[in-house]
Amino acid sequence: MENKYTPALVLIIKLVLGITFIYASYHKIADPARFAKTLYGYAIFPGFSINILAITIPFIELVAGFSLIFGLYPRPALLIINILLSGFILIIGFNLLRGHNFDCGCFSFSSNSGVLSNINLLIRDFLLLVSGIYMFKKTTAS
Amino acid sequence: MALKDIKGAFILLVSALITAFLYNYFSPFGIAIFGRWDESKGVVTAISKTDPVNTSIEIYDPEAVNLIVKNKKRIILDVRPREVYDQGHLPHALSFPLMDFDDDVANILGSINRNSAILVYCSSAECTDSHTFAGRLKNLRYTDVKVFSGGFRQWQEKGYKIEKNGE
Repeated sequence: MENKYTPALVLIIKLVLGITFIYASYHKIADPARFAKTLYGYAIFPGFSINILAITIPFIELVAGFSLIFGLYPRPALLIINILLSGFILIIGFNLLRGHNFDCGCFSFSSNSGVLSNINLLIRDFLLLVSGIYMFKKTTAS
Repeated sequence: MALKDIKGAFILLVSALITAFLYNYFSPFGIAIFGRWDESKGVVTAISKTDPVNTSIEIYDPEAVNLIVKNKKRIILDVRPREVYDQGHLPHALSFPLMDFDDDVANILGSINRNSAILVYCSSAECTDSHTFAGRLKNLRYTDVKVFSGGFRQWQEKGYKIEKNGE
């Protein structure tokens, strides 16, 4: 349902999602070896895929974030962002369910983050995904 | 979802992948396409251009390390923080935390001969501190330095004797 606040809400979500993804990519691009070790710590990915993911994921986040903010392929960018967020939710949820402690590595690198912090992370990603899906529906295909 | 959305996503993904691999190739912090993530084969690492890991000096077999400890064949250096060392360490190991290396250099040079056989370890196969420390010893012209790749965690898992301060 459209109302007078919808365009402003869409703009806010666009900026929040875009800036979040650009910001999240920065430290991973700066230190791919550390990000690779963080991915290893998730204990999910096969060894052969870890470096490839560490090299590519930050740039996918960066390109999708910029693309969304500057309105270049906004729906495809949202599609990528929503797929990434769904993947993050599945991985974090799986590790929480099996009681595996890990460092998210989302916005900075630290030691293991703790269960509470990872639940917060799951909630945050879920809210971002809901926003991303809403925005995808509101963005017209050009 | 329209076909043009998928086409657009494909274009964005290809752009991201090309940028990612080019950046990784030219970056001084770039990593190999495939890392070393099997703990049974040594310290795990992404193999970056600045990687301290030197596989040729690693000892993977904890039983070989057990024999070294029992026969006192090498001077054993624990490079974890001192408070962690105090909670338990390999028998006869000396504490030289990596973080205190600069302060301890005179102590190291004074107490360990450059021709001594040395074995360095840190917390686990996920930790590269032992390699960083070994590299610094090599720079100080120590000639026979090895790294126990499994570190204290593997030693503990194997149930070998652990020494605590005061015991």
